[in-house]
Amino acid sequence: MNVDELLLDRHIIVCTGSGGVGKTTSAAALALRAAELGRRTIVCTIDPARRLAQSMGLEQLGGDPKLVPVTTGRSKSKGELWAMMLDMKSTFDQMVLEMTTPERAEKIFENPFYHHISSTLAGTQEYMAMEKLWELHEEGRWELIVIDTPPTRSALDFLDAPRRLTDFLEGRFLRLMMLPYMKAGKTGLRMINFGTRVALRAVTRITGSDLFADVADFFQQFEGMYETFKQRSKRVRELLQARRTAFLVVTAPTEPSLKEARYFSERLTDEKIPLGGVIVNRAHAVPGVAGLEDPNSLAARAGDGVLADALRTYGEWRAVSLREERLLEGTLGAIKDTPVWRVPDLADDVHDLKALREIGQLLADAAR
Amino acid sequence: MSSMPTSLTASRVAVVSGKGGVGKTTVAAALAIAAARAGKHVLLAEMEDREAFAPIFGLRKLAYTEQTIAPNITGLTVEADEALVDYLRMFYGIPTISRALMRTKAVEFATQTAPGLKDILLIGKVKEAESRRHEGRHVFDLIVVDAPPTGRLPRFLDAPRAVVELVKGGQIRTQAQGVLDMVTDPKRCQVVMVAQPEEMPVRETEETIETLSKMGIALGPIVMNGVWPEIRSLGKEPEQTLRAAASDAGVDLTDEAISVLAGVATTHARRARNQRKAMKSLANDVSLPQIELPYLFTEHMGRPEVEQLSQILAECVT
Repeated sequence: MNVDELLLDRHIIVCTGSGGVGKTTSAAALALRAAELGRRTIVCTIDPARRLAQSMGLEQLGGDPKLVPVTTGRSKSKGELWAMMLDMKSTFDQMVLEMTTPERAEKIFENPFYHHISSTLAGTQEYMAMEKLWELHEEGRWELIVIDTPPTRSALDFLDAPRRLTDFLEGRFLRLMMLPYMKAGKTGLRMINFGTRVALRAVTRITGSDLFADVADFFQQFEGMYETFKQRSKRVRELLQARRTAFLVVTAPTEPSLKEARYFSERLTDEKIPLGGVIVNRAHAVPGVAGLEDPNSLAARAGDGVLADALRTYGEWRAVSLREERLLEGTLGAIKDTPVWRVPDLADDVHDLKALREIGQLLADAAR
Repeated sequence: MSSMPTSLTASRVAVVSGKGGVGKTTVAAALAIAAARAGKHVLLAEMEDREAFAPIFGLRKLAYTEQTIAPNITGLTVEADEALVDYLRMFYGIPTISRALMRTKAVEFATQTAPGLKDILLIGKVKEAESRRHEGRHVFDLIVVDAPPTGRLPRFLDAPRAVVELVKGGQIRTQAQGVLDMVTDPKRCQVVMVAQPEEMPVRETEETIETLSKMGIALGPIVMNGVWPEIRSLGKEPEQTLRAAASDAGVDLTDEAISVLAGVATTHARRARNQRKAMKSLANDVSLPQIELPYLFTEHMGRPEVEQLSQILAECVT
């Protein structure tokens, strides 16, 4: 399947990959191309550089979907491009409001610990990205939803994090720890083993107990919501496993990045999540040419000038290109039936629709 | 630019950070090697299990236990849970607590519930190494920290202040205050930003520098990584220029060769020019010296490549 077929066929496209590989740019370029192919598309990015927002004609991206002024060329096209940024906190707030009574929600919002959970706890961003995906899907306004994933150290964090958050929220251990602080749970303390009691005392001494009181209060307010949390997490997972979903793994043509891309691709397959393809950004494809097999000795003959510069530069990039090809074959060759699309390194930075369109075109033209 | 002090070792702790993918780990390793060659005792510390340094030093992975990984270089992976156990052992002196803690997952609990606790444990370990003395002398002359990427860096370095504000008393507050003192003392700690000469990384570097300055954190020189060599322009008619030059030099090239050469050289020259522009724009906005590291035309950063970069950084080790 090529990129255009994928963009026309799917309902959800998730761009994943480790940080700094051009994930957000790829997501925006794909969304723009889908819109220009006639689909009503939304791209939800996590933390776009201001410049990228501006490149889509938006002063800045906010939590609400905004229509990107795209002139599709084909006046009859019903394609649209919408863009938004994930607002982690307001997504969490919204979810809490839906899950509980307004009074309880209010109490939760006032809790300092909730602020920590909703803004910094590992896994929250990933969970909220998925929650937002579900919301956009439910809204039914868009034929295609392209979602960018948080810039995690490892792409795998993204798969594991939501589970970590739900585990954390319903964690037996946590509630056990909080027992002494929960009004109803005082008698439970006797049941805790000695080790835990010692540990609990140590941790209390270190952190100061006002913090624990907040935490205990938070968990009391959250009582009964764990199940809902889990169910929501489960239904998003089902959405991710649906046939009309595709994950794209974005990578750079470097060894660590490619190895991670392979590992992640295998993980996706294990988790029964459909893998649409691998995008290798900033690839260097310099062809071999008859007569240019030994550019350096030609450069030596050419003396000192533009020709020598050009020959040496060609030699360097041709070598990079060959190494990248071998590396690609070595790491991604093993992933059968998965398309690999190479996007060449561009001379200019990407900061307008024209450049995004160009990347979309390169993706569409790319072959394994 | 040359008139400004460009010392990467102006403070005992060099926190190396940058946008993901700009090569901060490579730069951190190169700095450690350069300083070690200059006779300094260096601690190279990575935050959590990143396994990034190990291959450069020919190891499978770094451990939480300090180990010599190269002449004059001690390597260490700082893990939050291990750091907490360390910390408890130091202040409470009961190893059994540690084992009980590990068993009950209390560490995970504590680091997840208390804001910034995990970060403070990580930097706390750095602080411990920074102030460690043996026979009255500092054990380490330089501590190179491979810090979280710029997106997480301000929060990481802000953790001690946040804890000081949040936790009213107890050991952790004292500890946090100690870390805060170190982080905000330019003689003890500076942040070395690694950037790539492209618009977006440069923009992000500027934003981070602004944020860190407001937090009272000192900044060292910026390391500009992956600078492409400049080549002579082929002018408006690249193919014609090359054809003429080939004929002058008596080098026989096919039309296809000329066309490919012109394409590669033009793209390269254009990108190199854009890089210069990005560096200039950064110099205009931020009054920090920039140290240039060349692009190495390789996708693999092994020991030889890091050594090569360390030769350049050596000039900025004082």
